[in-house]
Amino acid sequence: MSASLSTPLAPRPAEPARPGRFSLRVFLPDQGDWLALALYAVGFAAMHRLAAYWGGSGFYSLWFPAAGLRLALLWRRGARLTPAIALVEIAVDVTLTPAVLAGVPWTVAVWGIARPVLAYGATIAAIGWLAERRGAALLTAPMPLGLALVLAPLVATLSAVPQALTSPELTGVTGPREIVVSLAAFAVGDLLGTLFIAPPLLWLADAVAGRARWRWPLPSILAGIETAGVLGLGIGLAELLARAGLGMQPAPVLVAVAWIGLRFGRAAAWGALLVVVLRVLPDTAGAMDTPERLQRHLALATIVVAGYLAGSFADAQTTARAMLERRDRLLFQAERLKTLRAMSVAVIHEVSQPLSTLAIEARHLHRLTAGRGDEIADGAALIDRKAEHLATLIRRLRRFGGHAEGAPQPLALTALMDMVATLAKAEAREAGVALSITPVDPAWQVMAQEVELAQAVMNLVRNAVQAAQGDAMPDPVLVDVTANTAQVVIHVVNRAPVPPVVRDGMGIGTHVARAIVEAHGGTLIRTHGADGMVHAALSLPLIESR
Amino acid sequence: MPVRSLAPLMPMTESPAMVHVLDDDADLGAAVARMLARQGFVTQAFDDPAALLAAYPDRTAHAVVTDVMMGEWHGFAFAERLRALDPHVAILFMTAWPSAAHAVDSVRLHGGIDYLEKPIDEARLCASLREGVAWSMERRAAARRLGDLSPRERQVFDLMVQGHGNKAMAGLLGLSPKTIEDHRAAVFLKTQTQSVAQLIALSR
Repeated sequence: MSASLSTPLAPRPAEPARPGRFSLRVFLPDQGDWLALALYAVGFAAMHRLAAYWGGSGFYSLWFPAAGLRLALLWRRGARLTPAIALVEIAVDVTLTPAVLAGVPWTVAVWGIARPVLAYGATIAAIGWLAERRGAALLTAPMPLGLALVLAPLVATLSAVPQALTSPELTGVTGPREIVVSLAAFAVGDLLGTLFIAPPLLWLADAVAGRARWRWPLPSILAGIETAGVLGLGIGLAELLARAGLGMQPAPVLVAVAWIGLRFGRAAAWGALLVVVLRVLPDTAGAMDTPERLQRHLALATIVVAGYLAGSFADAQTTARAMLERRDRLLFQAERLKTLRAMSVAVIHEVSQPLSTLAIEARHLHRLTAGRGDEIADGAALIDRKAEHLATLIRRLRRFGGHAEGAPQPLALTALMDMVATLAKAEAREAGVALSITPVDPAWQVMAQEVELAQAVMNLVRNAVQAAQGDAMPDPVLVDVTANTAQVVIHVVNRAPVPPVVRDGMGIGTHVARAIVEAHGGTLIRTHGADGMVHAALSLPLIESR
Repeated sequence: MPVRSLAPLMPMTESPAMVHVLDDDADLGAAVARMLARQGFVTQAFDDPAALLAAYPDRTAHAVVTDVMMGEWHGFAFAERLRALDPHVAILFMTAWPSAAHAVDSVRLHGGIDYLEKPIDEARLCASLREGVAWSMERRAAARRLGDLSPRERQVFDLMVQGHGNKAMAGLLGLSPKTIEDHRAAVFLKTQTQSVAQLIALSR
């Protein structure tokens, strides 16, 4: 399985408003957003028109593709665009159908238009917030998108309940039964819209932006036959049941698309669902009475939700499996490194023993022949010099490979940062990122295993450099050390990439760094500043300087 | 009474500095021994700790340079055995597996003079060894002088270095002050010292 699978198949939702100083400016569209909003206005108007063919009772359409467009935009550009999108929808609605304002206070009408948008925005922000925390397996990519596609319409429907109960005259429906039918129509229309329109739009957007990490899978012939067979069987069975007078039964098709989703993932499920929808929608457009149409669309929505979630879950499983495989490989590599280290220690030992003899004898020979001024003397001097050079080299190598495990020693921060600078400068230069390391007070010391701690700091710097690397004009990565009476803090600061890059790594570097730091009695805290900077602070207890 | 240093009191016919070199790598042991011989030490190389311990009573040394990791033997265990045979021998450790913990233990727990990393730093080895040999010679001379004392004189010596006066010693040992006087004189004579301060230096 290729490593690219370890990354989410769809971009993560743009980050929710960051903790820290909150400002209303967050909600202002930025440069790139304006074009997206303009396109949205056009698309929304067109799809709104399209939806009219499947108009349900009252106000709502039974197939509302504009919902998918809205969700795709929110998912892609972030929930912070919610107010802007609401304004666009209000403008489009008022322009296209001025009748919405007739007969009701304009505030109520505007609220009626803006409410679903706000519900969508809130749902996406909540899912993004949960996914950031990566708690449950349910939130492995692409499950967050799947959940958003299903939950946003439901939340929007629920948000309509109070108004439907208190002022039914707005939607022209009266009586409990009518209200339920109307809300069901709303939910079904939005669900079909989000699940059908948003995924292909997001894939398309990824492809256009060149961010598609997901190649359209060239299905094997067998998989194609299986998909077609299962789907054909499901539809055939449903037809058979309908002809036998049992009405339209969704169960066979539902099982078929769930099967396809679980077996082959989202793309296959979506394809199968497309076939089903194309089969149903033309029949239900136009002249068909609302209850009949609602029933069919409810069945369709059931199938679509089940099929899409099954596909998302299968993809999430694949992602999780790929991550596990990668972690296994890393562990395997770590084991190999351990073995290599043990070998290098043994080699150093084996070499140092005969080298001791050689160095002693070479020096003696050099002294014996010093006065001769002939080739033998030159040779002896050369051998002595080389033996001495090797001896120095072995002593230096031993510092890296041969220290007894876990024996922390007083370590000056200057020495540590020197080592980090040597290793990191070259990497940063290669990545085209400036690295600025401020000088360190030589009095600061910590108890540490030098090589391990250098590894921890290196991992943080490496992460920062990788994050900065994507930008056209990367901001420099800043490394700074501060101290108070009790502890010393190593800061690594870089600008957060926009949009957030999904790195090849899985944060293993940070995990390792945290493990090392905690083993040293310290802490590692990463924060996103309101100014768009990512700040990693590695704190260690300070010891009395000598 | 003026305090004089002990050095001039040492016998002028001091034996040459004897050093044993112990390493399970016989080549290295021999090379170090030859190198030290060139520096004026009288050396003998061993490649087996047991052999050195067996030969030691007949061939005592002022200092022993020993490896730390020697097959079944650990240098520290060897140092313990050697110290039991001869409390006045200086011990230097050399190792290809240096660690801070070992370095501290070698000096604090095992009475090592120094702890050297292989490949050996010659200048440092020689300097440490000279220091060790001087220390050993001093200890031996002191022990030799104290060894001449009779049991009663030894008792008097012990009380003198604890700061007791003649009367007190007479009371403690149940002897007459006159007898104590005689023992005192014998102690000074046999240890070739002239003051209590020198005796105290000798007793350390």
